[in-house]
Amino acid sequence: MVKTMTPYERATAALANEPVDELPAYPLACAIGRRLLPQKTTLREMSVNAKACADSFIAAANKYKFSYTVTLIDLAVQAHDYGAEVRMDEENTAFVTGHVVHSPEDYEKFQPLDVTKGRIAYLIEANRQIAAGLKNKAFVACHVEGPLLALSQSAGAERLFMDMFSDPEPVLKALTNTTETCSRIAKEIAKTDAPALLWNFLWGNYSVLGDNEYKQFEANDKYAYKLIKETHDLGLGFAIHNCADMPHLDTQIKQYKPDLYSLAYYPLNPSSPSATKVLDGGYADHCVIAGQIDPQLFARGTPAKMDAAVGSLCQEVKTGLCKHNLNSKWCIASGCEVPPELKTPMENIQAFMDGVDNHGKMSS
Amino acid sequence: MTTKEEVLEKLSNSVLNYKRNDAIAAANESLTIGVNPIDAINEGLVKGMSIIGDRYAAHQIYLPQVLTAASAMYGGLDVLLPKIPKEELSDAKTAVTCVVEGDVHDIGKNIVKTMLTAGGFVVNDLGKDVAPEEIAKTMEQKKINVLCMSTLMTPTMDNMKKTIDILKEDGYRGNCTVTIGGPPTSPAFAKEIGADHRDSNAQNAVGWLKTGKD
Repeated sequence: MVKTMTPYERATAALANEPVDELPAYPLACAIGRRLLPQKTTLREMSVNAKACADSFIAAANKYKFSYTVTLIDLAVQAHDYGAEVRMDEENTAFVTGHVVHSPEDYEKFQPLDVTKGRIAYLIEANRQIAAGLKNKAFVACHVEGPLLALSQSAGAERLFMDMFSDPEPVLKALTNTTETCSRIAKEIAKTDAPALLWNFLWGNYSVLGDNEYKQFEANDKYAYKLIKETHDLGLGFAIHNCADMPHLDTQIKQYKPDLYSLAYYPLNPSSPSATKVLDGGYADHCVIAGQIDPQLFARGTPAKMDAAVGSLCQEVKTGLCKHNLNSKWCIASGCEVPPELKTPMENIQAFMDGVDNHGKMSS
Repeated sequence: MTTKEEVLEKLSNSVLNYKRNDAIAAANESLTIGVNPIDAINEGLVKGMSIIGDRYAAHQIYLPQVLTAASAMYGGLDVLLPKIPKEELSDAKTAVTCVVEGDVHDIGKNIVKTMLTAGGFVVNDLGKDVAPEEIAKTMEQKKINVLCMSTLMTPTMDNMKKTIDILKEDGYRGNCTVTIGGPPTSPAFAKEIGADHRDSNAQNAVGWLKTGKD
């Protein structure tokens, strides 16, 4: 019988595949944490005010006792600093409205960024505060858009994908520079108390890119492997988030070898990996898997439905862990961000955490 | 002189070979030799795009190739569509595609638009970040048969419901089929907001629209 653990102890034990009292738990409750703050804080404020952003993440982790915290804020941080137009509505996640690339020559605009300025500086400062505030309370993985995602957000995904196929050289050159920006961000994150970096490698997705394309544009020594090595060299844990429907698990888990992999599950897509498929595929042998409660359940479900879903997933995961002689390499998580809007019932987050307490005990 | 069969093959191959300029040239050539533009579209461009769709579904090719093939098809369509007499389009099924207000992620919507076109629909693409009132107004004024709405983001999902509610209030909902898509949507959400269908696959969605079956 394992002694009662703190959320943080569960997180670190799972990373080492040591026994845990119950499965670690973390819904990607990110911007929704602002609703726990005493003063009204909008999504727009979350996008520009590092302290408000950090306070929100810290408040949520402390209230709900998360094992992990992933600092996913929005996917328009680097794009903003590359010159894309970013819209920040009062109550919507920041997103890109005007892209940078209109001709192949425009890829020349992508030069390594000064990370002490702009939204990247805001991102780093928010992460610094979150990591300091949650030190030894929740295992913090700082979310950073990978170089291909940052480029697609800035250039426009459709334009980028067509150029990848028809005129790849300018794209590859730009990727060298977006990778350098990512390197600089990693170095700054390493100066904080954060124990890990979480790269968003979204485009490793068979709905979008095949193995050859993914290898050419991300999974090679110039881009992803460079960042992975640097992450290790900086002494940081290495995590990946990919909420795509058909992630490149063999590449992103068996070859990249992260410590933690956060993924989603789309039950209507037969190719989307369920927990059982992930476990039977041997992926949890390599890293902690974080997934895969449907984020929409937080917005549209009820505490009873949440309890049922969490219970079902805990049972599936515990069975799979036992079958594969694993102690703990799963974090019950949401596959993507908990919808941050005002009407998402906060009690569904509590129900999620209570559900893991009720159904995720490893001694039962 | 090039025969009709040869120019149709050129049109199809231009899409299969991802060559927009070839598609434009073949489309112009088809008009020069007197091919009915509807035949040039359906037996040339659309035939090629259907094969592309099948290859994508079979994971033989991926999104960069599909988008480039679609660009070729649209190059040809830009030449051919204006040459079709309006009365010849009167029997064609019509569709509106859009990303709802507050969201600009339109790759999925564009794939649906492409597959609808390849499926013989006349598509009125309203683009992205489109207000419910504008969607409904277009549907009603142009007497559109099918509405395809998409969103990637959660906070904007409710704009799908708002659109359907306006169609209901205006008495047009019974005249059209509504299908939705995008990662946060689900069949349960479609039912909840009064849509007819939700799909995660553009080809399946078009198949459903044509046959009424999944």
